[in-house]
Order: sequence, then C-alpha cells, then structure tokens
Amino acid sequence: MDPGNDVALDIIITNVVATFRTRCHLNLRTIALEGLNVIYKPEFGKVLMKLRKPKITASIWSSGKIICTGATSEEDAKAGARRLARVLQKLGFKVRFSAFKVVNVLAVCSLPFQVHLIQFTKNNRPIASYEPELHPAASYRIKQLRATIQIFSTGSITLTGPDVQTVATAVEQIYPLLFECRKIKH
Amino acid sequence: MHSSANALCKLYLSVIDDVIENVRETFLDEGVEESVLNELRQLWVSKVMQSKAVEGFRKDTINPSNFVLQLPANYTQTLQKQSASIILPPGQNVQNYTAKASGAGAVTTFSLPPGVTYPVHIPAGVTLQTASGHFYKVNVPVVVTQAPRSNRVFTQPAAQRAPPRLPPPQPDPSQARPTIQQAPTQTSNPKSTPAASSSTASGTQPDGQASQPPQEPPAPVDDIQQAPVPQSAPPPPPVSPQPVPESPGDFTLEGIEFSPHPEGTLKQEQGQLLACEVGEGASNSLDTPEKEVKEEAPDGLPVSDGTAFSSLGSQLDEAIKMELLRDFNYSGLEDIVQLDGAGDGSSEDEDVDIGGPVGENDFLGMISAEALHVLEEAGGSDDGSSTSSSDIEKQEIIEELDPLNSGDDVSEQDIPDLFDTENVIVCQYEKIHRSKNRWKFNLRDGVMCYGGKDYVFSRAIGEAEW
Repeated sequence: MDPGNDVALDIIITNVVATFRTRCHLNLRTIALEGLNVIYKPEFGKVLMKLRKPKITASIWSSGKIICTGATSEEDAKAGARRLARVLQKLGFKVRFSAFKVVNVLAVCSLPFQVHLIQFTKNNRPIASYEPELHPAASYRIKQLRATIQIFSTGSITLTGPDVQTVATAVEQIYPLLFECRKIKH
Repeated sequence: MHSSANALCKLYLSVIDDVIENVRETFLDEGVEESVLNELRQLWVSKVMQSKAVEGFRKDTINPSNFVLQLPANYTQTLQKQSASIILPPGQNVQNYTAKASGAGAVTTFSLPPGVTYPVHIPAGVTLQTASGHFYKVNVPVVVTQAPRSNRVFTQPAAQRAPPRLPPPQPDPSQARPTIQQAPTQTSNPKSTPAASSSTASGTQPDGQASQPPQEPPAPVDDIQQAPVPQSAPPPPPVSPQPVPESPGDFTLEGIEFSPHPEGTLKQEQGQLLACEVGEGASNSLDTPEKEVKEEAPDGLPVSDGTAFSSLGSQLDEAIKMELLRDFNYSGLEDIVQLDGAGDGSSEDEDVDIGGPVGENDFLGMISAEALHVLEEAGGSDDGSSTSSSDIEKQEIIEELDPLNSGDDVSEQDIPDLFDTENVIVCQYEKIHRSKNRWKFNLRDGVMCYGGKDYVFSRAIGEAEW
C-alpha cells in the first residue's frame, strides 16, 4: 500500500465562491429595474444577477458587497466578478473592483475503491466523524488546511476548502487514510 | 381568432372610451373645450390602429349593431355563422335601427341585427331604413361581405346586376370613390331611370369621378374581390355629409350605387344608395389623417351608442378605411394563432430571450422562498451539510484596486441580440418559479405584444429556460 503509488485522481471543481467589494453603495432597486438577468429579493435585501458566461450567480447587497458563486475555476470566478462589476459600472454606479477573494472551493473526487466508513472513523477517531443516522457520509476535517472532506462508502468524496490548492493537498492527505480502509471486493 | 382580435379591439375601445369619459369632466373644469377631448380621442384611436398592435377594427364584427339593417317585420333571417349569408326577404321593412347622432346630419346607419354575420345577402326589393329614417329600397340584390383588407364589400349577385359590376377590383379605391361621389350626384337627382341600367351607369360613372384619395386602403384594395365598393361603401350614407369628399354616405354596392333618399320615402330608383355607417375603428392600415376623424366615428359604432359622427367629409374616408381594415383584419385574423390560455407557449419564447430576464425586472416581486433555496442550493451546493464553508470565512480584506477599465474587454455580453424583437408582456404574476435555469410563470390579467400585435389574456402559463 504505497500511497505514493498514485493513480491520477480526477478532482473536479464544481463550485468556486468568491466575494468582492464595489466600494460604493449600490441602489438595489435601480439594479433590479434596469439590470438584465436579475432577480430582486427585497425580503433578503439583495439582488441576484446571473451571468451567462462565465456561468455565475452573484448576490449583490446594497452595501456593495458581492458574493459570486457558480464558477468552475478561480480564474473564472475572478473574470466573472470583474464582468459583473463592469455591468454595475455601466448601470451608473461608481464601482471599484476591490477585495476580490475566493472564499470557498468545492470539488468532488471519485476514488477507485469503496471505503469502509466505520473502520475509517475508528482509525481517525477525533478528526473524523460519522453519524449514519444523520448523514450517510463520514466527514473529516483537516484543521491546518481548513478543509473538510466528506467520504461516502461508494468511494466518492467531496472536498471543500478555501482555495483550489488546498483542496488538492487535502486529497493527497486523505488518500492514504482511505486507502487503508478500502473495501475489498471478492 | 377573429373573436379574440375583435374582443381586443372592443376592449381597447372601451378602455379609450372609459378614459375619455372620466377625463371629460376634468377637461371641462379646466376650461378645455370638448372638441379637444374629441380630437384626443381620435388621435388615440388612430394611433392604436396605426400601431397595428390590434387587428384593426372590424366594425361589423365588433358590433353588428353598427350596421343595422332595418328589416321588414316579416323578415326572417337565416342566421348562420361564419360564412353564412343572411338572406333578407324582400319587402321587409327594417325595424330596428341604431340612431346615431351625427354632427353633420343624418347618418345612415346600417346595423345588422345581432348575430348577423357577413356575408349578408340583401335580396332585391328589400326596403332598408336607416337610422336617420331614410328608406332605401334595394333594387338589386346585394351581398354585403367582408373582404380581407377591404371594407365592407358589397357584392351584387352577378345575375342581378345588369352590367358587370365594376371592374372595380383594381381601381377599386378609385372607383369606390368615384362611385361614392357619384352617388350623391345621383341622389341629388332622383333618378327615374330604370333600375339596372341606371345603377350600372352610375356604377360605371363613378370611374370618371374624382376618386377620394383620402381613403386609401393601399393594400386592402387588392384583396377586395368584388369589393370595389367596399371602400366606398362604408362611407356614411349620402344623407350625411360625413364623407365630404364623397357624396355623403353614398354607398356603392358592387358598383351599384344606392342613393339614399333624403326623405324617408320609398324610392324606386335605381340609384338608391345604401348608406352604411362605418362603425368600428378604422383599419389600422390606413394612415391618412382623415383616419383620425374616422376613427372617432367607429368608436361610437361599436358601442352602438350613436356616437356623433362629425360630418366631416373625412369621416367617409375613415369609414372606408375602416371597412377596408375590417375586412382585412377579418382575413388576416385567421393567421393569428391563439396564444393565450393554457396553450401559451409563446410567452416563454419571448420571455426567454427578452421577457424572461427582463420580465423578472418588471415583477420586482418576491420569488418564493423555495426558489430562493433552490438558487442557493444551485449556487453553493455541496452536499448539504457543508459546515466547512463557514469555517473558511476570514476577514481578510485585501486592498486591491485594480482599475476596472481593464474590464472593458470583459464586458459586452452578447445579450443585445436577444432583445431585438421587443416582445413584451405586461401583466400581474401569480407565481414565478425557478429551478436552476428553468423558469415557470403563472401570470394573469395581462397584455402581450408579440410580433407587433397585441394580445390580451386573463391567465397565462409559461415555461422558459435561461
């Protein structure tokens, strides 16, 4: 069981969440009335604006904070955020693109083997937790990386972390642990 | 579809009427003359017509009562819908007529009894009494039909007519005009000439007459199949001076002119004209200024209130135009696809491109909480319990001030082409739902402008993909 003996695992990034600030107050009503592809949610005090390319949904608050979700890569997220800021600028707001930060990256990965969750949880007692009655996956937190991994018995795992690099590192860290507890089919 | 288009016309007209009535008092209070109000109304109606948003007003269809044929008591109509022709037994005396006050004077109004649909056959010998009380005896069987794009078409059974009716098909408009004009002439000189011949002659004569330019139903003319007269037909009966350019309300049926007899006495003359008051809104295709005046006239008709018809000569023109439009609309309506109701799929098409995203803007409404959840799930989905995201939040605010002008290249999304058509729906929403990029709309009480035409609905359901 050589963890180094790695197959190329496909880590697919499914979602990148980023935030940025426009440094100016935004009139949500104006955006809602004049913007294209917007959904106004007055009860939440925000406007959703969807971009087609890159495929991004942005939540816009009147304070000027914008959360951008749905991107598939960090670059995409940034490009989408800038495009969004440009749209707001065209609507007439004095937008300054600032404080862009990728906040969350969500990735999925499929391991080539199934995992024995109970054994895995026993081996990694405090860090891993598994409550089958609550959720069918075991969750494993890597504090240093601030990453969380959810492991399913089928061998699929989902990872969330503050950036893509962290996620990749997390996969590498968890792989050997999972490899130990794999289910071997006869 | 006819009905829906006509209902739409009626609706619009009723809206216009309502507004005008409600502001009438205000206008008067402000010291503005009523003529201004009337002019406003005419302008309004003409603009609606011109916009082609509505399928024109088919006066007859909208309000058959506009065209009241006073039938003799013993008249029994065989009412058949659609192409049914209504045979008026000869010798009938028209009973009911819609009295219409016309500014100029007596305007002969012919209102078909409710339920009468075109074409209407008027056999020879029928005595028609107009609203003004004039009697017209139809010596030659007449068929009043609605030709596409043309005003009321009055065709005469070929058999009856002595001379082939006017070649009018082509020069219809011109012929119509001349005919109309002719009529007055004839009217003025009661003819005692034998029916057929005189009518024929008169029919042909009009050709020479000056045509009435005002009404020019450009395209409609072509469609008129035997409808040369139709255009001229509508003009108010000779009695009323409305069609100034033409003889007052001379009505030519298939080239045969019926001169209205000013006095309500039965005339045996050939040249009796069937004055027909053009009711409903003028055809939208006609754009002459007279149309406005005419527009006003039709207003009254649909309401069958006897809206006063100004005796402007242009009224006749308008009437003609209206007739043309009406007929035009009649046929044109067949092409219209019913879009409202359950089968409404069109709204989504436009909405997808234009109305959808834009439509949302119109609503400014709250999307149900479930939609919001869906959105959030779609946006941030990880399998449910992602507590990690909250852990990640840090308050690092990095002061990067990248100038956004570099974002110039970033913008320019291809959206503009999606908005070419300008199809809009203005309505109220019952429920708007979104799942990822699938939208479902439950709308009510709205007006849709699709392809330049207006449609009104009380309920609309749509689906769209963004």
